[in-house]
Amino acid sequence: MNFFFHVLIMCGIYMILCLSLNLLVGFGGLFNVGHGAFYGIGAYVGALVMIHLKLPFPLELLMSGLAAALFGIVVGFPSLRLKGDYLALSTFGFAVVIYTVFMNWVPVTRGPMGIPGVLRPKILFLRFDSLAAYLVLVAIIVAISAFVLHRIVDSPFGKSLMAIREDETAALAAGKNVSLIKVTVFSVGAFFAGIAGNLYVHYVTLADPSAFVTDESFLIFSMVVFGGMGSLRGSVLSAFVLVLFPEVLRFIGIPSFYAAQIRRMLFGLLLVVVILKRPQGLLGSYKF
Amino acid sequence: MLIQLITNAIIAGSIYSLIAFGFTLIYGTMRFFNMGYGVTFMLGAYLFYISFNMLGFPFLIALGVSVGLTSFIMILVDHFSYLRLRRMRAPSWAIIMVSIGVAIILESLMTVIFGSDVRTVRTGIQRSYTIGGATITPNQVTILWVSIVVMVFLWLFLKKAKIGKAIRATANDPSMATVVGIDTEWVFRVVIIIGSGLACLAGVLVSLETDIEPSMGQPALLKAIVASIIGGIGNVRGAMWGGFFLGFVENFGIWKISAGWKDGIALALLLVSILFKPSLFGIEEEK
Repeated sequence: MNFFFHVLIMCGIYMILCLSLNLLVGFGGLFNVGHGAFYGIGAYVGALVMIHLKLPFPLELLMSGLAAALFGIVVGFPSLRLKGDYLALSTFGFAVVIYTVFMNWVPVTRGPMGIPGVLRPKILFLRFDSLAAYLVLVAIIVAISAFVLHRIVDSPFGKSLMAIREDETAALAAGKNVSLIKVTVFSVGAFFAGIAGNLYVHYVTLADPSAFVTDESFLIFSMVVFGGMGSLRGSVLSAFVLVLFPEVLRFIGIPSFYAAQIRRMLFGLLLVVVILKRPQGLLGSYKF
Repeated sequence: MLIQLITNAIIAGSIYSLIAFGFTLIYGTMRFFNMGYGVTFMLGAYLFYISFNMLGFPFLIALGVSVGLTSFIMILVDHFSYLRLRRMRAPSWAIIMVSIGVAIILESLMTVIFGSDVRTVRTGIQRSYTIGGATITPNQVTILWVSIVVMVFLWLFLKKAKIGKAIRATANDPSMATVVGIDTEWVFRVVIIIGSGLACLAGVLVSLETDIEPSMGQPALLKAIVASIIGGIGNVRGAMWGGFFLGFVENFGIWKISAGWKDGIALALLLVSILFKPSLFGIEEEK
């Protein structure tokens, strides 16, 4: 039963990550291959705030999100000047820089040892210590995130965003503030990744740099591609399937070293095969 | 200390130049950032380890075998993935993502086969020289002269040889090159062979100095990206200078702080360069 809850909690966290990355990549055409960095920032800020400031959980959650959003703005600015390829490179570079900071800024992050002792959250008299209770909390936050992102995509803002993806010059000519929209969407995407990071760190109770390697970013990206760019439902579905499958591998008794490598190989293969054979993914409508 | 730092910077820089050369050549001709380039480097080091250490081939034959095999594998990869995307006229992000997928697959494959532990290429015990306060090993001397000779040779090849001219023409304008009778797909294949060969050679040279592991590709990819972008992407001469410049910045950067920050320094350089000055040396894209 615990295994079941564990899988569902991880599914929830990845759903938030996929949905927010899909907002950037699928709807905005902003190729962010460093989403794991925002995820990591959320996790570390959550852990540090919890240990040093002992703020109430909702406030701490918000701070994780805002810290990630701040970095989103910092990274979003170059996206005003950079097109596709270069944006992918600079976000990749950003993810590596953030990982190096986690690994080497020992006085704050304790380097490779990570920050232990993060507790499960409590809101007023409600405690989320057991897995079942934590799952409920995650589910609520996933639902809120999905709702907010859905509203964003459906709003006039979302329409302008897609217009920029299709034809930036035309959107500019139609009087859209392209720069503002891009930076906003970058910070919104980063905000939700930060939230996911906070949920993750409270779940595993340890902020560990190895959870935020650049592979993590690629993994989230391949989930988005698999689910379908520009399809929120696709992202939810693919996060569910792609988190469940490797966990099952581990559950049936494949040693965890091999299970981890098989999992990576699977994601790499998925990325190649889906883009080659079905670029629109499971539920998307995107075509070259 | 200063002389030692300069020596280290030059040796690191020559490796960076070598991989940046190949990376920028592939970008300049095929117009995509090959994120599988770091894995090519790793594959080269491992193939050399297999042929030199495990099978006991003589050095030069082992080198030839690994360069040949690496290029062959990358041609196969191109045939089954990038070529199809080119035919589909896929946008460049799709090719970048597929190359990331290829990198992940090959890296995890090597991890499954060889385990994630480091391996050491046996080169015997080496006596190091001390010149003017700097310690240098014979292997480091080899790294230096081999990479410089190879780069100068390739640069001349691109400038003078007929194939080199075809490559430059394709880089300049693929459709125009087709019109004057250049088979661009054939040029792409030559470029992949040269690029992969360079990555493999760099992998072999690095393996003489340090241990090899399946995850060694990613830092190498970073250096290639950084060096070629600060040198002006697509410009091979710029990439060579960019490599040496990166070597200097990194080695002087970690003079006072822990060596773990190396990649961070390199990437900070990349971000600064992308944001403020795309080509640090002021050399415009020269085909």
